[in-house]
Order: sequence, then structure tokens, then C-alpha cells
Amino acid sequence: MKTKRINQKEREKAFTSQRKPDVIEKQKLNVRYHIEDFNVNDRPRRFLEAFAAILRHSNYRMALDHFIRMSAKCSRCATTCQVYQATGDLKDIPCYRSELLLSVYRRHFTLGGMLKGRLLGGGYLTDEKIQEMAESFWNCTACRRCTLECPSGIDHALITHLGRYILSELGITPRALVVSTREQLEGATGNTSAIPVPALVDTLEFLSDDMLEEKGVEIKFPMDVEGAEYVFFPAVSDFLMEAETLMGIAAVFTATGDSWTTGTGYYDGINYGLFYSDRILERVVKKIDSETRRLKGKKVLIGECGHASRSAKYFLPTYCGGKDAFPVINIMEYTYDVLMAGRLKLDPNVITEKVAYHDPCNIARQRWIIEKPREILKSFCKNYVEMTPNRENNICCGGGGGTVSIDEIRPFRTTIGGKLKADQIRRSGCKILVAPCANCKKQLRELVEDQKIDCEVVGLHDLIYKAIIFDDSLKVDKKAEVETSKEDK
Amino acid sequence: MDALLDFARGPLFRFSFIIMILGLARILFLDLYNAWKAYRKAGDKTMPWKLIIIRSLEWLVPIKRIGHNRPVYSVFSVIFHIGLILVPIFLLAHVQLWKSGLGISWPTLSYKVAYWLTISTIVAAVALIIGRIFNRSSSFLSRKQDFLWPILLLIPFVTGFICAHTGVSPGNYRLFMLIHVFAGDLIFILIPFTKIAHCVLMPLSQFICTLAWKFPPETDDAVCTTLKKKGAPV
Repeated sequence: MKTKRINQKEREKAFTSQRKPDVIEKQKLNVRYHIEDFNVNDRPRRFLEAFAAILRHSNYRMALDHFIRMSAKCSRCATTCQVYQATGDLKDIPCYRSELLLSVYRRHFTLGGMLKGRLLGGGYLTDEKIQEMAESFWNCTACRRCTLECPSGIDHALITHLGRYILSELGITPRALVVSTREQLEGATGNTSAIPVPALVDTLEFLSDDMLEEKGVEIKFPMDVEGAEYVFFPAVSDFLMEAETLMGIAAVFTATGDSWTTGTGYYDGINYGLFYSDRILERVVKKIDSETRRLKGKKVLIGECGHASRSAKYFLPTYCGGKDAFPVINIMEYTYDVLMAGRLKLDPNVITEKVAYHDPCNIARQRWIIEKPREILKSFCKNYVEMTPNRENNICCGGGGGTVSIDEIRPFRTTIGGKLKADQIRRSGCKILVAPCANCKKQLRELVEDQKIDCEVVGLHDLIYKAIIFDDSLKVDKKAEVETSKEDK
Repeated sequence: MDALLDFARGPLFRFSFIIMILGLARILFLDLYNAWKAYRKAGDKTMPWKLIIIRSLEWLVPIKRIGHNRPVYSVFSVIFHIGLILVPIFLLAHVQLWKSGLGISWPTLSYKVAYWLTISTIVAAVALIIGRIFNRSSSFLSRKQDFLWPILLLIPFVTGFICAHTGVSPGNYRLFMLIHVFAGDLIFILIPFTKIAHCVLMPLSQFICTLAWKFPPETDDAVCTTLKKKGAPV
């Protein structure tokens, strides 16, 4: 698939920076995202110290050793990277980006590199190189598509992940992510959107009232129910922005009658640690574990969110007890199971527009959840179409790896990061694009707006909410009739 | 010249071949040892073995991958690798050398197959070099060794072909054979220290890449302690 590269005008738009020259001067770092002030002195030494500390306490050395021996520079990754395909800038090739960090590793942490450095001189880590990494690692959306195409199996996203982790120890991390994480781990509300419990309870009661009016069924969001089967952690931003997704999920549980709950101690699935720091990743995952424990829940249920699902599914066992950790499922898996078991009925006549499904990278790339949402959609959407490439080979929305939360780089995301996706959406001709991921939804909405595509971006459960058919016994007026007839008797 | 040829075919060959074997054994051992250490430290020890095996096989026998991405490059790359692996190991003349030296032998390629495989390898190598020079992204990424390797690998194939399939005069035959053997010896010595190490590491790639995401537990505390950041705000 040949992509038309962006033109000069688009390039200028994409690379506009909102950062003031005096801030750039003060922070001695020219990147497009905002950063909180940090110690700018002696960065190379501190970078290497952080790198050494991380290597000592992690498993990265194994991968880095393997990658530096294997890398054949075949440039197959270049053809899959949506950022490089849009910009055509050679520095955006995943293999080049990885080499930025691999060369530091080779020079400073391998015997051969150190000897060569001593004998021939040069090759030291410099401020300029740190500047290049700070820019390059946040141009990547960590979608891992390039990894599938690398014959040497080099996981460029892992290297980006490690690079961002080291940079974060220096204080070089987008402010948007740090501020949210600080609120989540140290703030009064304990979640990234800073939603206090009373506001949460109010919102959910309001949604329940709405649903009662619309569907005639009492649909509740159970709070703090001890011993529930599923403890629910959506991306907390859903409470503010994705009411329909939450309503769909609550509706499914009302229809099936299974026990689920949201804990008021902690109700955020978002984990920016996956994007910039293993230390944060660990702390956030542990909050999910302790809340599930507090509620004596049996399973962790993650809402429609790719990175929240991946960070819980793959890292809850890592940080919270291995095999004994709580099982993690994504809401789409649950809905698929109850639909197949005949416990959920959906009206096939409600959604008539052309519907396409967008695979969130964090869910599909490892072949985790691919067919289930498709089966659900095909069961009630008459006009379902596929975008190609799809499934594990899907194209990233362009806002992955935490970049969607960085508002100041929106022009970059919608002009460059999401260019291939925009072309793909246009080609499919879909009017409804289903993206079961909070990150993808925000990015895709901005993308269709900026690229002027006539398409509505929704979550999977938004559609389910529209099409769900409740048993008469659940209808409030029928219930009342039954009760009155009982009284009469 | 005969003495030199005997040296290259005798002691030098033995030396370089042993360097290659020991070097490859070393990096294979290190890779596996590192993987074992990482697996022991990992908090989550469940591995998607089926997916790892499928993906590894898909790359070892890359039929599905050819048309997927950079098809011309991929086709030449596959042809190149087939010849590169089969010809040196299964060529009748090479097997005869092993037989006369160590008394071991194995099945060999027929004259015709060896002939065409050699030609296809040479053509593919030239195509890969041209591709590397003229493909914008490849040439940008390439290091010196990426250009030199296909050239170095071409030398024994071209000289071997000249010796085996052309009516070259006995004097020139010896010269070409000398270049052939010296180039071969040099290749053996360089293999473990360059990217050609992928000849033994390749099957482990998907496994290593999956295992790399299995982090050890309690690293937050350990890294904080080492960097003296304990209790520091986010």
C-alpha cells in the first residue's frame, strides 16, 4: 500500500510548537510537548546513571544484548510505520529510533563498545543525543506494528518504552502525563481525571435516571459491593466523556444479572506507566490489586480501553503474585460470552449504517481480542465492513503510546500519526467507526474532525446500548403490573 | 602458492572454523543464559508458547512474509539465504574435503542444482547490494558492515563458481581457489562478531522479544533506592 506523504503546508502545521522560546532556552530542550521544569545540568551522566540502575533491576539487558547482535538494518519496519509513511523523514524509521538507544547501550554498557570507545575515542552520550531521543521517542505511538515486520524480531516499541523510562528519570516526560499520574498516585481523588467520589456517584445516578427514562428499565451501577464477581475499572475519563459506553456496559450486566461493582476506593483503569515508566506501571497496577482485594472481588474487569486492558492483563500477574493474581478480562470478552450463551439479546434492526471496527493496538497486536468484537458486531449490525489491514496488522489510530493525552501535539497526531488511519477510514466508507478504546476514541474523533471525514466514532457498548432488548420482567411498568396483580390476588 | 593454499585449507581453516563454532556457541549460550535469568526473575511466567512458535516458524520459513512488505527485496533475500545455507554445506567438493579430513560425510547437491543455486545466490547478492544503495531508507540505515557483508559473501561464491564451472587455466585456478578459501576463512572468523550472528540467534528472536515484556516484580523500590529517589514525588 503506497501512501502519499504529507506536503510542505501540512508539515508546517504538524510541527507547530506551542512552547515559548524562553522555556526552550531555560529547559535546554527543543521538543513539541510541554515539560515541567527539571534539572538541566549534567544530563548525559544522569542519563547513564538511570540507564545503569534500570538495567541492574530489570530484564532489559537480555533484550538489548540480543538486539545489538541481530539488527540487520533491512528497513522493512520503515514500510509499516505510519509516522514514517506520512512524514518520509528518515529519522522516523523505527530502526533508526531504536539505534539511538542501542548505540548508547553498545558504547557504555558492553565490553566491546567500551574498549572501542577507549581505543578510538568518541561515541559518548551527549546533550544533543538526549535531545534527539526526547523528540524521537515521543514521535512513536508505541503501536508495535513494526515489530511484526522485523525479521530479527526487534521490538522497537520495547526500546521506545525503555528510552522513555530512562528519560522520565531525568524529568523529561510530557507534562500532561506526569500531572495526571501525580493526581492518580498522590492526589486527593486518586484518579487521572481528578473525579471525586461524590461527583462519580452523582454522574452514575444521573445516567441511571436517564436509562430508566429511555429504556424503562432500572439500570444501576453497583458501588462497593463486596464479593462481586467482577470489579470494574474503566478508563476513568469514560465517566466524563463516554457516558454511552458505560451505559451499554451497565445495560449488559442488568440484562444478565451477573454481579459487578465499581469501588469507590479506586476506579481508574488508566495506567500511563505503560507509556513512560515501569515504576509508575507497577504502582498503578498495585492500586487495582488492592481495590479488588478490599472488595473481595473475584475478577478484574477492564472497560473499553486498550492500554488499561494490556497493562492490567499482562502486568497484574507481573507485580501482584504471578499465577495467583486476579484474572483480568476485558468487557468485550464478557459481552461476547454472554451473547453466545444466549443471555443477551440485541435488535438487528437498530443499527443500519455502515459500521467498521478499529482494532486497538494494545488489544490486537498480541492476538488477544480480535474476533470477539467482530462477532458481536456482525450479530446485530446489518452493514458491517472491514478496514484493511486489520486484526493484528491493524494501523494505529495515531494517538497511541500516551500521545493522545498530549493536547499540544494534536496537529502532529491528526496530520501525521493518524494519516494512514484517516485514509483507511475514508476507503472503508463507514459511517460508524467502532473503537473500543478510550485513547483511540479521543484520537479518532479529533482525526475525523481535523481531516473532515464524515464518520461517527463510538465505543462497542454504545451500539449495544442502542440495540439491547430487555426481558419484559425487567421493565419497570411490567414489574409494577406484576406486583399489582400479586397484591390483587 | 601451493603452500599458501595448503595453509589456508589446513591450519587456517581449522582455526577460523573453531573460532566460528566457539564464538557462535558463546553468544548462543549467553542468549539462553540471559533468557533463563530473565525468566527466573520475571513476575509473570506464563508464556504464549504457541504464538511464539508460530511467529518463529513464520520467520524461519518466510513464505507468508514475502509478498507482505518490500516484496522484491524479500524474494531476493530469501533466494540469497537459500543458496548461502545450502551450497557451502552440501556441495560435493566440500563434503569430499570433510570426508578426506575427518572421515565424515553427508548427502550432497547434484551438479546441476549446485550450479543454479550458486548463480541465483550471486544474482540475489548483487540485487541486495543494489537495493541497499538505492533504497532511500535502507541506505540511510546501513552501516559499513551492511554493505561489506554481501560483497564479502559474494567472493567465495564467484571464485568457487569460476573454479568449478569454467575452463579456467590451472594457474588461475589456484589463484581463484586461494581467494576462495581465504575469503571463506575470513567469513568464518567474522561471523560471531557481526550481524551474521543471526544465523544462530534468529530462532530465539520471538521468544526473547516476548520474554522481554515479562518484567521482574518490585523494581520500583529497587530502582528508587539505587537512584536515591525514595519518597520523591511522582
